[in-house]
Amino acid sequence: MNALPLLSLIIFVPWAGAVLLACLPRLGAPASRALALGFSLSTLALTLAALGSFDPATTGYQFVERHDWIRALHVHYHLGLDGLSLLLVLLTGLLSPLCLLASWRTVAEARFFGLLFLLLQGAALGVFLALDFFHWFIFWELSLIPAYFLIRLWGGPGAARAGYQFVIYTIGGSAFLLLGFAAIFAATGSLDFVELSSLGATGALGGKLASLGGIWPQAVFLGVFLGFAVKVPLFPFHTWLPATYAEAPTGVSMFLTGVMSKMGVYGFIRVLWPLFPGPLHAAAGPLLWFALGGVVLGAFAAMRQTDLKRMIAYSSVNHLSYCLLALFAVSVATGSSRPASEAAAAALSGTLLQVFNHGISAAALFYCAGVLESRAGGRRGLNDFGGVRSAAPVFAGLCGIALFASLGLPGLNGFVGEFLIFRGVWGLAPWAAAVACLGLFATAWFLLTFWQRVFHGPRAGAAAGPFADLSGLDFAVLVPLVALMFLLGVLPHLLTGLFNPLITSWANHLVLP
Amino acid sequence: MTPVQQALLILLLPLASAAFIALFLRRAGGLASAISVAACAGLAALSLALVFGGERNFPASWEWLRLGGFSLSLGFKFDDLAALMLAIVAVVGLCVHVFSLGYMHDDGAKARYFGGLSVFMFSMLGIVFADNLFMMFIFWELVGFSSYLLINHYCEKQSAADAAKKAFIVNRVGDFGFLLGIVMCYWLNGTVNLTELAAHHVYTTWVPLLLFCGAVGKSAQLPLHVWLPDAMEGPTPVSALIHAATMVAAGIYMLCRIEPLMTPQALTVIMWTGTATALYAALCAITQRDIKKVLAYSTLSQLGYMVAAFGLGSLLSEQGEHRMLVAAGVGAAMFHLTTHAFFKALMFLGSGSVIYGCHHEQDIFKMGGLKSKMPLTFAAFTIGVLAIIGMPYIAAGFFSKDAILHLALEKNTAVFAILAFTAVLTSFYMVRLWILVFLGTPRSDEASHAHEGGLTMKLPLILLAVLSVLGGYTALYGHTFDGVWSLIPHAEGATILVISLGVMIAGGGTALMLYKPAGSDALEQKAPGLFGVLVALKESFDAVYNYYVAKIQQRFAILLNFLEQVALAGLIIRGFSGLVGLFGIGARALHVGSLHAYVYWFLIGVVVLWAYAAGVF
Repeated sequence: MNALPLLSLIIFVPWAGAVLLACLPRLGAPASRALALGFSLSTLALTLAALGSFDPATTGYQFVERHDWIRALHVHYHLGLDGLSLLLVLLTGLLSPLCLLASWRTVAEARFFGLLFLLLQGAALGVFLALDFFHWFIFWELSLIPAYFLIRLWGGPGAARAGYQFVIYTIGGSAFLLLGFAAIFAATGSLDFVELSSLGATGALGGKLASLGGIWPQAVFLGVFLGFAVKVPLFPFHTWLPATYAEAPTGVSMFLTGVMSKMGVYGFIRVLWPLFPGPLHAAAGPLLWFALGGVVLGAFAAMRQTDLKRMIAYSSVNHLSYCLLALFAVSVATGSSRPASEAAAAALSGTLLQVFNHGISAAALFYCAGVLESRAGGRRGLNDFGGVRSAAPVFAGLCGIALFASLGLPGLNGFVGEFLIFRGVWGLAPWAAAVACLGLFATAWFLLTFWQRVFHGPRAGAAAGPFADLSGLDFAVLVPLVALMFLLGVLPHLLTGLFNPLITSWANHLVLP
Repeated sequence: MTPVQQALLILLLPLASAAFIALFLRRAGGLASAISVAACAGLAALSLALVFGGERNFPASWEWLRLGGFSLSLGFKFDDLAALMLAIVAVVGLCVHVFSLGYMHDDGAKARYFGGLSVFMFSMLGIVFADNLFMMFIFWELVGFSSYLLINHYCEKQSAADAAKKAFIVNRVGDFGFLLGIVMCYWLNGTVNLTELAAHHVYTTWVPLLLFCGAVGKSAQLPLHVWLPDAMEGPTPVSALIHAATMVAAGIYMLCRIEPLMTPQALTVIMWTGTATALYAALCAITQRDIKKVLAYSTLSQLGYMVAAFGLGSLLSEQGEHRMLVAAGVGAAMFHLTTHAFFKALMFLGSGSVIYGCHHEQDIFKMGGLKSKMPLTFAAFTIGVLAIIGMPYIAAGFFSKDAILHLALEKNTAVFAILAFTAVLTSFYMVRLWILVFLGTPRSDEASHAHEGGLTMKLPLILLAVLSVLGGYTALYGHTFDGVWSLIPHAEGATILVISLGVMIAGGGTALMLYKPAGSDALEQKAPGLFGVLVALKESFDAVYNYYVAKIQQRFAILLNFLEQVALAGLIIRGFSGLVGLFGIGARALHVGSLHAYVYWFLIGVVVLWAYAAGVF
């Protein structure tokens, strides 16, 4: 155990920043912004410190902090970090400061904005690090409140409804999650993810739940499943997403798509899969269709959008569905006689890479849409622009890189994850890989349409008049993201090295209880 | 310098040039072009040294990513096939770079153009060197991307932007097949390394056919050929390099690379695809008015020839003879790829010279009389025409075309008949083009003020003209490419010679009689019915695709969007009040959203999902 409670620091330093901002009501806007940014950067710094002593070869949790908390309920304060959590904490650490920078100029009430944002950041980090359901769920739910206010107060004209929809929908999902875990607690007397996972691996969890009554094992599985499915979101639970992403202010959209959507995928991998390998295997056949629905229909729906932010939102549905596609395919093949560990390793590595890479490229795309919006006085329709490339060539170049990264051009970050997912899914469920190609096709179609309509052709619409190229602030947001796209596209092992042993051990133990 | 270092340097020089231009020289067009051309000259010199140095099959492989028992690697496979391709890419690439110095001299976005050329050279060389299918796929996509960039060069033109998007998307359709072929190959064989696959692989028709989809896209075979004619929106030197000599030939090269995986069934499909493309494109070329479009369709047709030659290789073969006969297809296809790269690049650069001289006039009916205005271009272009129509012993195309016709005659009479007829058409439309552009008197102001370009535009033409004459004599290459040349089938006796002379004279003679240097199409006047049929044939594919996009894909997307908005968002979010709102009560419904209706829908969802899951138990 580390002398310094590093993980607690990672979670609570942003919250400390929020408290500090709350205590300084007279702080001016520039100082609040700087303070928020400083506290937000702490995550990256602390994560890099953790990275220094992180041992990727260990497949268990590291930097573990475990203290008794509520004895009567067997609740422990339990934090731990493995390759999966590290990846997501790193992503949060990278994106959060950029999201704050993205809201640097455009946001009024900078102090309150920074306060809420730091709360949100800390809650998300808590979700990625907590190993006991009790406080994990608190973080999970707490992340909604600042997100709601960020959308509601700084969002576009439809923000009130979108924010309401977002909160109600996800709380609805969480209610089932909570009920499921209440039943689990009743059956096992534990809320600790590590203990529950080992029960799940032996099948004892199902047996204990069955002792509660006939349908409880399935009902609990469904409850937990729904909680995560809404969050990712899995088709057809995605309908809250486009409106929310479109109406949120740019920096918040970046965080929602970059980090919060990953909370659902994280839940699937960290909680649902290890706790319920049997039920997930049984349900994975039909679930593959839902994931394919997200891949294909998400992309085709994006094709039809004329609002750029909605288009990117739908493309997020498409990209995240690949992650679930791979996970379900692994689950389908679990316990079968075919030797599938190689394919499973590829599929799961692809999933984690996709989680990270989608965070980078979707955040960059949302920022680009935000740049267009701010230059065009709030318009962000596909047909509101034309020929922006001749007016703002540098912006066009960086946005083009983000677009091509998103559609999976080799050499940029998106490609490796998608290739590995296809490689893995083909070995586990070949037909699903073939159908998913339709999604790739549609993605290329609408992203190129975006680039072509907005940047090419004669100058028109909002770009007909003067149209400024990127400012220094824009560079500060986009250049790190674009640099990461190249870096991770060429050297993906920088990431895979963090979780490779973990994935390998998962892939080698694909057995049903 | 070891051969591996040399190969790495060749690969990385253009990348360095592209990165440098993108980062520092966006506004310094002159310097950017100098750096790009210097990088290309450097890589050409290194390439030729490597090719003629005789080093082959040096081991070079690096693990790129390892995930448990599964790894992805990058490496070089440098055999005679790769050496031949490298020599072609380097020489044609250099010619085009130098030519571009003149052609693009006054272009405002010269830095972007030369940066794009460098990206292209990097990607294309990656395909040439790749020792496994995964690496080939990486560069395959990058080549598609650089082609997109360069077609899009005149990006303020709507037609160029549309053409670039079309090229990328149509290529992507083929690439999905390629991608699935690769993952299937991984799954079946556990490797995608070309050398290991050649030694041992699972015998199946699916893998080669899926991989062939990639070639159909990139080499623009039916039914994915539609992007290539449109791609002529790019600058003409780009058309010469990418859309005639190298990138579109990458499909053929890839097929030759995966030749050990082939099965007779797959080869039959490949053969007929190539044959159909050859004939279809030749028919389309007859009615074109744009000089570049004629050449584009002729490229399609010649690519069809190469694909057909590859497919012909092993038909009707016994298992014992199998290997040898397949290889005959490789020999014939690569031989034609080589000569075609030279003479088609020559003709495209020649047309570039014509377009430049005529101040960007591309309609052949508005040219005429350029023989005396542009004598060097005239001479070079004439050599190109002689090469493509297969003038015996004078020009390179004759030898390679004969090898293909010979192979067809041996293997499949129907294919032979179609290919021979295609050859008739080829001489017909090429002589037509030649008459209309160069003979007679100028028919427009632009043509009457035509002039030759500068030295940078003349030198590449001369070099390519020499290669178009000599390139067919395989003995001239020494033993450098024996691994490929030894596979070329040789006709014995005079049958093939007589046949090819016959078709050439038939096609060329008809064109000479029919066309006079005039401002209108003689065929259209004398046989409007036939002309109309040919035009309709050309447009049929675009019509089908447009129908698909407008009537199927768009409607599907509209329907989906509607379902999203109404059925899912409307009902689930707003509950029954949303439904009522739909029926016209209107605004009131907008601010009714009740939590219990919402939870109610959730419960229904739970039940449905649970029923799904329970059914599987």
